[in-house]
Amino acid sequence: MAKVLEGPGMGLLRKWGLHTPNYLVVSSSEEFDRLAQANDWLQQSKLVAKAHEALGSRFKLGLVKVSLDLAGAKAAVREMLGKKVESITIGQVIVSEMIDHTDEYYASAKSTRDGVEIMVANCGGIEVEENWDKVKRILVDIGEAPTDAALSSLVKEAGFSGDTATKMAEFLKKLFACFDNEDAQYLEVNPVVKNAAGDLVALDAVTLLDGDAKFRHKDWDFHFAAEFGRAYTKNEEDVMSVDSKVKGSVKLIEIPGGTIAMLPAGGGASVYYSDAVVARGGKLANYAEYSGDPPDWAVEVLTEKVCSLPNIKHIIVGGAIANFTDVKKTFGGIINAFRNAKTEGKLDGVKIWVRRGGPNEKEGLAAMRALKDEGFDIEVFDRRTPLTDIVDMALATN
Amino acid sequence: MSILATKDTHVVIQGGAAGVNAARRMAEFRYMNKQPLNVSAFVYPPDAGKTNEVICGTDTVAIPVYKTVAEATANHPEINTSLVYIGADRAYKGTMEALDDSKIQTVSMITEGVPEKDSKLLGKHARKLGKIFNGPSSIGVISAGECRLGVIGGAFDNLVACKLYRPGSFGVITKSGGLSNEIIWICSQFADGITTAIGIGGDAYPGTDYVSYLEMFEKDPQTKAVVIVGEMGGDLEERAAEWFGAKKRRIKLLAVVSGFCQESLPKGMKFGHAGAKEGLKGEGSARAKSEALKKSGAMVPDTFGALGPAIKATYEELVKSGEVKPIPDLSPAEVPALPKTVEQSMKAGEVLVAPLIKSTISDDRGDEPLYDGYPASELINNGYDIPHIIGLLWDKRLISKHEAEVIKRILILSADHGPCVSGALTTIIAACAGIGLSQAVAAGLIMIGPRFGGAVTDAGNYFKYAIDNKMSVDEFLGYMKKNVGPVPGIGHRVKSLRNPDKRVQELVKYVKSLGIPTPHLDFALEVEKVTAAKKDNLILNVDGTMAAVLVDLGFPVDSLNGFFILARTIGLIGHWADQKRQGSRLIRLFNYLVNYAAPKRREVPPLK
Repeated sequence: MAKVLEGPGMGLLRKWGLHTPNYLVVSSSEEFDRLAQANDWLQQSKLVAKAHEALGSRFKLGLVKVSLDLAGAKAAVREMLGKKVESITIGQVIVSEMIDHTDEYYASAKSTRDGVEIMVANCGGIEVEENWDKVKRILVDIGEAPTDAALSSLVKEAGFSGDTATKMAEFLKKLFACFDNEDAQYLEVNPVVKNAAGDLVALDAVTLLDGDAKFRHKDWDFHFAAEFGRAYTKNEEDVMSVDSKVKGSVKLIEIPGGTIAMLPAGGGASVYYSDAVVARGGKLANYAEYSGDPPDWAVEVLTEKVCSLPNIKHIIVGGAIANFTDVKKTFGGIINAFRNAKTEGKLDGVKIWVRRGGPNEKEGLAAMRALKDEGFDIEVFDRRTPLTDIVDMALATN
Repeated sequence: MSILATKDTHVVIQGGAAGVNAARRMAEFRYMNKQPLNVSAFVYPPDAGKTNEVICGTDTVAIPVYKTVAEATANHPEINTSLVYIGADRAYKGTMEALDDSKIQTVSMITEGVPEKDSKLLGKHARKLGKIFNGPSSIGVISAGECRLGVIGGAFDNLVACKLYRPGSFGVITKSGGLSNEIIWICSQFADGITTAIGIGGDAYPGTDYVSYLEMFEKDPQTKAVVIVGEMGGDLEERAAEWFGAKKRRIKLLAVVSGFCQESLPKGMKFGHAGAKEGLKGEGSARAKSEALKKSGAMVPDTFGALGPAIKATYEELVKSGEVKPIPDLSPAEVPALPKTVEQSMKAGEVLVAPLIKSTISDDRGDEPLYDGYPASELINNGYDIPHIIGLLWDKRLISKHEAEVIKRILILSADHGPCVSGALTTIIAACAGIGLSQAVAAGLIMIGPRFGGAVTDAGNYFKYAIDNKMSVDEFLGYMKKNVGPVPGIGHRVKSLRNPDKRVQELVKYVKSLGIPTPHLDFALEVEKVTAAKKDNLILNVDGTMAAVLVDLGFPVDSLNGFFILARTIGLIGHWADQKRQGSRLIRLFNYLVNYAAPKRREVPPLK
């Protein structure tokens, strides 16, 4: 799942014929001033300015300002840009037209195992979150499209009538077209509002796309946003950039404040290792994973980042018995990074724990064991030691 | 017995290099079981019509590559299974092609990063046709003693260590490839091993789920218990629990679920598997899944580490109840081993191989070439130059600065001599005929011989003979006249005493300025005095000068032509590139430049 910020999300809705308010995404005051002259609506409408970053609770943080005139919007843009909130520096502001409305509705589409679930409610905003039972839904089988009849009975069931019912059915049809054609996994419009002309307008959009489908969407010119309410760190971005270049994969997420650094192999095993740390009362300093026989230099980059995590006490180089990841080769990358980290003093007071099996395991484990002679504080185990026992041992030394 | 992959499975592999690698792994497994390879064909349009070579024990089998699945199944009607090793952007089309083939019943896909929509459509299509679509992101399927689909099971040593040459009593279903192998290992150590292990892939919506295979295992009498390795996200574990709890089942179920760490991690965090994402409001969480499985009657150890003992307890219970009879382990001698490669045998000290060639000048086995033992990069860093490398590779010695300077000058002086000489003219004719660089330059080099540029070695040889035998100039000229003929290195077509060769003068001047002993050069100059006095153009030519100087520097006589060949190659490459740049067209000799001395036209007599 790849989260898309409001601006590009709105752009996708527009592409498939849904009305959205006029909006602009700007990254400097000068840019906004320039665009203000070229866009009449900025002078004629009331405006909303919001920080355009992957941040939760923007309203509470004062990063959403409403009912602004152009001067007010300019001030808001100036104020928000460059502001630091947690780990994020606000680099973009989205300024949109305020739509006067009375009624708010809710519409969304969500990927399920069997197809796509379309959901609608005749209330919106916070009201729908508090009255989730008002949301009515239909399932569209994968490969199919919803029939007009099905949509029309869905909106009736949700309590729409007359012209609004027709328009909402039409809205859902377009929402589905957008969902289906853009390889979306989740699209939520809350609220949908009726403007003065009686048209339905999507005021806010949550857009999650299938990042794996990027190859067939040449017009996805936007970046995906981090999904956990903060921006990616430099280290995480470095590892992502390596990941996108190599066969196999390397992954890293930093968790501030932890003392147990993770450097396990395998998408499956890595989670069991994290579980074991948490179950034994340890604090994770990161999540990491390498798999699919990545090149040694990619594992070396990942290791370098893991060794740079602050205040770590243990590094868990765990892994199951690999099918085709070469243990000797990938360990070669890890060992190179370990040696550099040691020279730089990053491994002072850090204990390394290794458990692994797979192709060339003997050579790989022997190379790790040999680090002991170079003065590393390292314990190495082979396949005969159960998977997560090294975590138990590491945490028992605390 | 086993499920999904059996003795009767015959495979087509769709894909390129990764598919061939999988076939090699599958061949190792079959060799261990003393069975023939079960890969019948490959489908890979870029290589259609060729064959892929797969090593089976000591044999190499050529497996044909086809353009389409239909061609493969038409030529190999035994095929009933396809393995998909195609990139994510083309995997959908290739898999559809396989599913739509009436011969194919099972398709297993290893490709990762397939769009969710594609895999859902493939799953639906397979269900409609009553076929199995396993994956995406599946490491494969392995049935002990019978069949391996893909690389699941790992290296050969691991297959043996996990006793995969004969069936045990445990079925395995996992999302993770690495963990499937781990569980196979655990089952072989804590129990009697596996029947079939299946990787269903870690995607959010795999084509098949635990239930698909639990139903098959339930019907397989050899399988007594099934181990599921699950993870947070989606509802597959809940569905498995629902299936298991629905009625009394013959098989026992053991399960672990990962993702408890999520409770203390940042919300929305992405894990290694696409399907491992946060459950909404507890739904899909590791805890909810574990609870559901426990409630259904499955054995759910609270950590992965506790799985081994749980499997052991289950196995002992099965033995006690008489459902399972322990299988005695094979003795080491009975355990099959892969044939060793020559390298492996040599490393183990088992064979002696007589080397085919011997090299004393360079070694390329390290991370950079060693020239007579010196690393190339260190020579560069220490200021050594091309002439020093010539010294190392031609004469196995580090030459002095002065020697290097002499060689450099020889190379500069002989690099080219215009387009009219034999070598350059030949290269130019070849270039004009559209011949490539290496062939055109080689054609020019072929001209180097006794009459063009190739007199250096000969000249060096005779000057050295004279000095070695302490001959006077007269004795030498007498010897040459009697035994050889004209003195190599003496004489020039256009240059003469009055029109001296400046190249020779320059070289002699420099070498003399060094103050080193130059007996051969001195001798050659004495010879010139005598010969040039007889005839104006019998001067010491550039070949002769080079030869005398190089012998003085101690280079072996046999290497001397090499200096001319090396130097002139620079010019020949230049002539080729020059013609190429100009876009020169084919040339032919004009008739008037030929003396047609052949007989006039005449009657052909009748054939006798």
